[in-house]
Amino acid sequence: MAKARPIIGLNAQASTYKNARSVVKVRLDELYNWASFVDEPYRVRKLHNLRIAAKRLRYTLEIFEEVLPEASKDAVKELTQIQDELGALHDSDVMIALLRLCLGSQDTGTSYELVLSDSQDSKGSIDLNPELVATLVDPSAAPSAKERYGLEQLVLRLQQQRDEQYIAFREHWYQLQARDFHRELLRLLDT
Amino acid sequence: MQGQSTPIGATIDIGSNTLHLVVAHYTPTDLDIVADEVNMVRIGESVTATGEISQQKLEDTVAALQQYRDIAAQHKADPVLVVATEAIRKAKNSAEFVEDVYQQTGLATKLINGNVEAVLTFYGATYEVHKEDDQASKLVGVMDLGGGSTELVLAKQKQLTWHTSLPIGSGWLHDQYLHSDPPTHNEVLAAETFLQSYFEKLPSKRYPPALIVTGGSANSLLGLARSAFHLDAQGDRLLYEDVIRCEGVLSALSAEEIASRYNQPLGRARILPAGALIIRIAMSQFGLREIRVSPHGIREGALLAYARYGSEWLLRVEKEAKQQKQLVSSATATTGKNGMRTESFAQSGQRLLQERTHKLLEWRDEVLKHEDVEAVHKMRVATRHVRAVLDAYQSIYPTKPFKKLYRSIKDLADALGNARDTDVMIENLQAQLEHVPSEEQVGVHWLVEHLKVYRRQRQGTIEEFFADLDGNALKAEIDACQPKKGG
Repeated sequence: MAKARPIIGLNAQASTYKNARSVVKVRLDELYNWASFVDEPYRVRKLHNLRIAAKRLRYTLEIFEEVLPEASKDAVKELTQIQDELGALHDSDVMIALLRLCLGSQDTGTSYELVLSDSQDSKGSIDLNPELVATLVDPSAAPSAKERYGLEQLVLRLQQQRDEQYIAFREHWYQLQARDFHRELLRLLDT
Repeated sequence: MQGQSTPIGATIDIGSNTLHLVVAHYTPTDLDIVADEVNMVRIGESVTATGEISQQKLEDTVAALQQYRDIAAQHKADPVLVVATEAIRKAKNSAEFVEDVYQQTGLATKLINGNVEAVLTFYGATYEVHKEDDQASKLVGVMDLGGGSTELVLAKQKQLTWHTSLPIGSGWLHDQYLHSDPPTHNEVLAAETFLQSYFEKLPSKRYPPALIVTGGSANSLLGLARSAFHLDAQGDRLLYEDVIRCEGVLSALSAEEIASRYNQPLGRARILPAGALIIRIAMSQFGLREIRVSPHGIREGALLAYARYGSEWLLRVEKEAKQQKQLVSSATATTGKNGMRTESFAQSGQRLLQERTHKLLEWRDEVLKHEDVEAVHKMRVATRHVRAVLDAYQSIYPTKPFKKLYRSIKDLADALGNARDTDVMIENLQAQLEHVPSEEQVGVHWLVEHLKVYRRQRQGTIEEFFADLDGNALKAEIDACQPKKGG
């Protein structure tokens, strides 16, 4: 997960009103730094970083709510929705990756698995909790043939669900682009 | 006051901690008290625990009220006013309680809101002070420290200029934070952090140079100080140092020992550490070296109001309280918003960090109960707010303490995150279960069961983590994150 950027040029003795705007602007920049990956549905790590950036911007707007214009609450709603959409996408990515590990299969050849096992740098894949993986791949509690079949069906359905989740997110993102959400927020900070 | 030639009346105040009777000859400006009785029933205890007034508390109340009614009758008191405050106001069964009391004692109880309570407290606590001309023209504050709430009033030239009702009282603070007997150092620190943060947010722009404190805890504390430190038996002043010394005694002895050594009712002795703490924090926040303690409050205030306005006394006081409330609300709206607007970045950084961490720690018990998965979610969200504060203010904090605190919060967030992510997976799978073919259901069941095993392990990890999580150590880490000078 990308770290939040430290904010340069803040003045501890200056007003919160002024400093808060500088902080929000940096968080806004961070969000749009990941925007180029919106059209790459299987760059899961990058989309995850976009989600984290949306989350950071949202919480920053919330903590400085008192010194920001009322309209910042609408921005918080949009960011929460982005965060939820990308969150659902990430949950699906994690679940699919876990099930694939659990079923011991990396061979279906779909675009999703290709990305998971492709030549990206090691930072490009999904972080899976090793203890959770260990619980699910425990040989002493391996799924029966029927259970395996059920899990395979589940993976297929989750992949379909994941595609739908991505489409919903992308559509929302482009709606925000159409109304120039970025500039909208910058203008908000100047009022 | 010509006691015998003036009318005599009685007021009973049903509070969160006590039931208190006062019988007095009255005029619009003065009282001559002939009977003063108090019973420690602690109705608030039952309301805090269950949201209702228990049958036992009702019976205890009725028994005390019957006794008070008889005392009032012996003095031929008329009227006998009965007012009930915070605990009864908050109880789900307050209407039934009032009806039961009426059926069993013939006494009609008026439920008064916090703002009326503040006005009556002011009348009662200051009528003696106002006899002293030098006090009347000054800005004076009155704090009625009750069991379930605290009323704060500011007045100048006998006119209320500001008041507010805080939902914090000695009984409440005891029940929420100070469970041990005597309270542990950690419990006191947690309560102190909470109170400091709460008092700092008070919207009043001006703190009083003189504060009169009333209520059972304040009077018991004065009694304790007189007895333990041989203060003047007639004196009504408590120095800041006296309060600290009282806290020392209260932290060293059990409630039973306090009760027997210093002649305090046991119920009062139990909640006295909480009362002392609220008084100390208020003194500290208002920058006061001393306070005056008044034995008078709502009851005397109600009787004086009756003397001034007759049978319309409550309506008149409600009207006055309403006018004041409008002033206070508008002041709150303005200063509340202006709080951060006028704070320096360093000031808001410290305040936000304390507030957000306090909110975070509030979820600890719920998470440990493991009854509602939402508690983990809420606590995790609270960690994100704390991290957002840390990220925003990072450059003005000293590096080392910042990193330490950041690590502590991150570890907590990670422990919660693992649990929460698993809760979400389980919830999602269970929600889909009905809508998928039976052959897939077999697989989903298998997965859910394994996730549940993992989730139980995570709960164990959280419990271990929380066992090691020292709220005070965290507070110390926050205190160490003082903004750099000239940053």
